Amino acid sequence: MTRLVVRRVLWTIPVILLVILMTFLLMRQIEGNPFRTSERAIPESIQANLEEKYGLDAPWWKQYLRYVQGVATLDLGPSLVLRNRDVNDIVREHFPPSLELGALAMLFALVFGIPLGLLAALRANKWPDYTAMVFANVGFAVPSFLVATLLIYFFAVRWGDVFDVPTSGWDTWQSKVLPTIALGLGPMAYFARLTRGSVLETLQQDYIRTARAKGLRRRRIVVVHTLRNSLIPVVTAAGPILGFLITGSFVIEQIFAIPGIGRYYVTAVTGRDYSVVMGLTVLLAMIVIVANMVVDILYGILDPRTREAR
Amino acid sequence: MSSASSGERTQLPSLRRLKERRYLRLPAPPPPTPTTSGDAGAPIRSSSLWRDAWYRYLRNRAAVIAGIAFLALLAYCLIWPILSPYDPNAVDFSQANDGPSLAHPLGTDQFGRDLFTRTALGGRVSIGIGFAATLVILAIGVTYGAIAGFLGGFVDNALMRFLDALYGLPYLPFAIIILAIFGGGNFWTMVVALSIASWFTTARIVRGQIITLKENDYVRAAHAVGARWLRILGRHLLPNTLGVLVIAVFLELPGVILGEAFLSFIGLGISPPDASWGSMAQDGYRAYRVAPHIIIVPSIAIAWLILCANFIADGLRDALDPRTKET
Repeated sequence: MTRLVVRRVLWTIPVILLVILMTFLLMRQIEGNPFRTSERAIPESIQANLEEKYGLDAPWWKQYLRYVQGVATLDLGPSLVLRNRDVNDIVREHFPPSLELGALAMLFALVFGIPLGLLAALRANKWPDYTAMVFANVGFAVPSFLVATLLIYFFAVRWGDVFDVPTSGWDTWQSKVLPTIALGLGPMAYFARLTRGSVLETLQQDYIRTARAKGLRRRRIVVVHTLRNSLIPVVTAAGPILGFLITGSFVIEQIFAIPGIGRYYVTAVTGRDYSVVMGLTVLLAMIVIVANMVVDILYGILDPRTREAR
Repeated sequence: MSSASSGERTQLPSLRRLKERRYLRLPAPPPPTPTTSGDAGAPIRSSSLWRDAWYRYLRNRAAVIAGIAFLALLAYCLIWPILSPYDPNAVDFSQANDGPSLAHPLGTDQFGRDLFTRTALGGRVSIGIGFAATLVILAIGVTYGAIAGFLGGFVDNALMRFLDALYGLPYLPFAIIILAIFGGGNFWTMVVALSIASWFTTARIVRGQIITLKENDYVRAAHAVGARWLRILGRHLLPNTLGVLVIAVFLELPGVILGEAFLSFIGLGISPPDASWGSMAQDGYRAYRVAPHIIIVPSIAIAWLILCANFIADGLRDALDPRTKET
């Protein structure tokens, strides 16, 4: 087990290097130069000086190595547009809300999704099952911007006198409720579907029949024998879902005016602040990579069979 | 043909393959063609596999309804813009923000444009991007997966480790960077942006399929009688991955459609004078306080399509591989 963990952790290093390289090469393809604006021509000599200052005159692989060095020492470089700020400042300021939003949405999805799926599976093909699955299928298909807009419309505009929830910002706990639901609903529906399928599969296993045959109480069978074994696919899906939460947050942060990374990313792209785009992309990629790593390790803990396979 | 190491891998499911089986509930390879004639290596179209699958699909009520609803949506998007009495771009402020009525079944937007017509027109763009990107995803995925699975050994190992690394790419940020490289969103740049970071799963599926198929007797027989590799790949292996690919179309489509909607919604994809479901939703969001139906209409179109695609994929999976049938 320790070997698996060590190998898995070490494996992330070349992966991160490769992802940085790909981002780096892609970013170089974008047209335009941050200093050469069409409105105001900069003399050649100043241009050269600026390029030297930011190291843009070096060959690309040198720039890449320097960037990797920067990432390793947790320095993502200066912003090209905001002259006196660097990418680290922006991350420090905009990352906490995004992280909190993602974590809250994930929690919401797990806390409501798993019981819903379990309930549906234990009452398979009866009305609780049908209700839960209609809800899950619709919840999974409806785009999050509609959920967000409807939540705002009803809770802040229509019944605003009753609920009085703020529709923008990220400071009071009231302002965090609607974004969390809007972002977490899709993953919740997904977890519910996944749990249902997985529980149904587990219920057909021989060891469940054995547990029943030896007279264990229903609650024990459900919690210890069924649920534990059914959660493996849910854990597996949590990695990709995290990616979904990050990408989904682009839209949700925009709608609720949350000062997070997704919203700033869009600002940086339209403002052509490429070093910020680069830094944030690398950061997001690293989050996904680390999340996948954690999932793989959890998977090894939960399912001993996969340990030997590697 | 297959080295010892790749043979081993098919015996012991690796972490990734186990994961994917669970995650997507992949079908096992289609059963060997049930033809009794001596022509064991014939492509599957000459057998009754597809007809059997078709009958199994028809018995699945949810999948049939989803299929009909899907075709109805396609027909509406293709035909209605031709028949519609309204110009989808004609601005008429005297009729702005109207709710559903007899003249405008889905109401009008804040510029007084008929939403029933614009949704059909936007559907052409959104579904068009969806299918085009899905085709690109399949093309890249099949090529990559077939090379890895067919060659096996060192090449397979290298390609798969590379794929593992790519799995870390966050999909939307990369799509946004691609759009920035092309200098903005239109139909074709959206297709490239949405497909470039989404072909990994398809490549894995195809590779797994090829590796399992490679062990079949008819492939060994073809090899033994001296068939060249191109013939084995093109005539025996790839046609048998077709079932998985049909399913993959409907698994990939929702992601691409949602991707288009998200990108256009945040203003980086198709931009408002042109209609796509994403750009219409963006329009609708601007007016949600006075006329919430403007954002609801394209969102329901998106949800409709995704729901259909999910049920069709489920139905196809059950139909093409009865062994994985769910309880």
